[in-house]
Amino acid sequence: MRTDCDEALENLYLYLDSELDSVSSARIRSHLDDCRGCGPQFDFEGRLKAVVKERLHEDVPDAVVDRVRAAIREESAADLQ
Amino acid sequence: MADQVDFERDAMQYTRQLYSAAMRMTRNPADAEDLVQETYLKAYRAYHTFQEGTNLKAWLYRILTNTYINKYRKDSRRPSEVDLGTVEDMYLYRRLGSEESAEAARTTEDRVLDGLVESDIKQAVEELPESFRMPVLLADLEGFSYKEIAEILDIPIGTVMSRLHRGRKAMQKRLWGFAKQRGLLPEDAKRP
Repeated sequence: MRTDCDEALENLYLYLDSELDSVSSARIRSHLDDCRGCGPQFDFEGRLKAVVKERLHEDVPDAVVDRVRAAIREESAADLQ
Repeated sequence: MADQVDFERDAMQYTRQLYSAAMRMTRNPADAEDLVQETYLKAYRAYHTFQEGTNLKAWLYRILTNTYINKYRKDSRRPSEVDLGTVEDMYLYRRLGSEESAEAARTTEDRVLDGLVESDIKQAVEELPESFRMPVLLADLEGFSYKEIAEILDIPIGTVMSRLHRGRKAMQKRLWGFAKQRGLLPEDAKRP
């Protein structure tokens, strides 16, 4: 028999990626509040996802932005001629 | 030209994101810069075909991805699969969960999440085979929905889900290796 835990864990990434409808999402949320097994797992995966996002980011050098802007303006000026 | 003003106002706000994705795709700053510039030029030239009110960010990513695939991809000989035969779901969590108490487990988790540095995370993603790397980048770096990722990569949504799933597992396995190298794991977890 499938338990609430099975259902929650099967949907872990769908839940963290905000891909569930509001009813399913609410059901999982209420399960997580009660379940000592699932809560920490969801918590860890959610924190890992946030860490990955934060540490993958790269600051774009100003020079790159300037060059892109200049290229667009050059293209735009060429269009007008 | 009004077009150019609109384009700069609306599209240039995504340079940081597109550059981050370009760095993870090309793995070097010079190619990332070229890729971003070429993406913006292509987008500008095609801007009249962009339907206002639709998703500009996703449209830019589609151009970025296609440009990368057509021009910059150098690793077509790299394996397109990773062996995930023995890699279970939530690989990292399960390996950190051998502690006796919840507090001890939480301490280990915190140490690992704090201790994995930027270069570990970047390398773990960059080493993914491309078919996995793209969905992981689009979902985890950019927060695109599965449907948007399917449109950007032009693959079915079920394929997005399975590649994302496998990509994340492979990434966790690699992160486990980095955590071990950096001595972030409890002693008992270090034993083979």
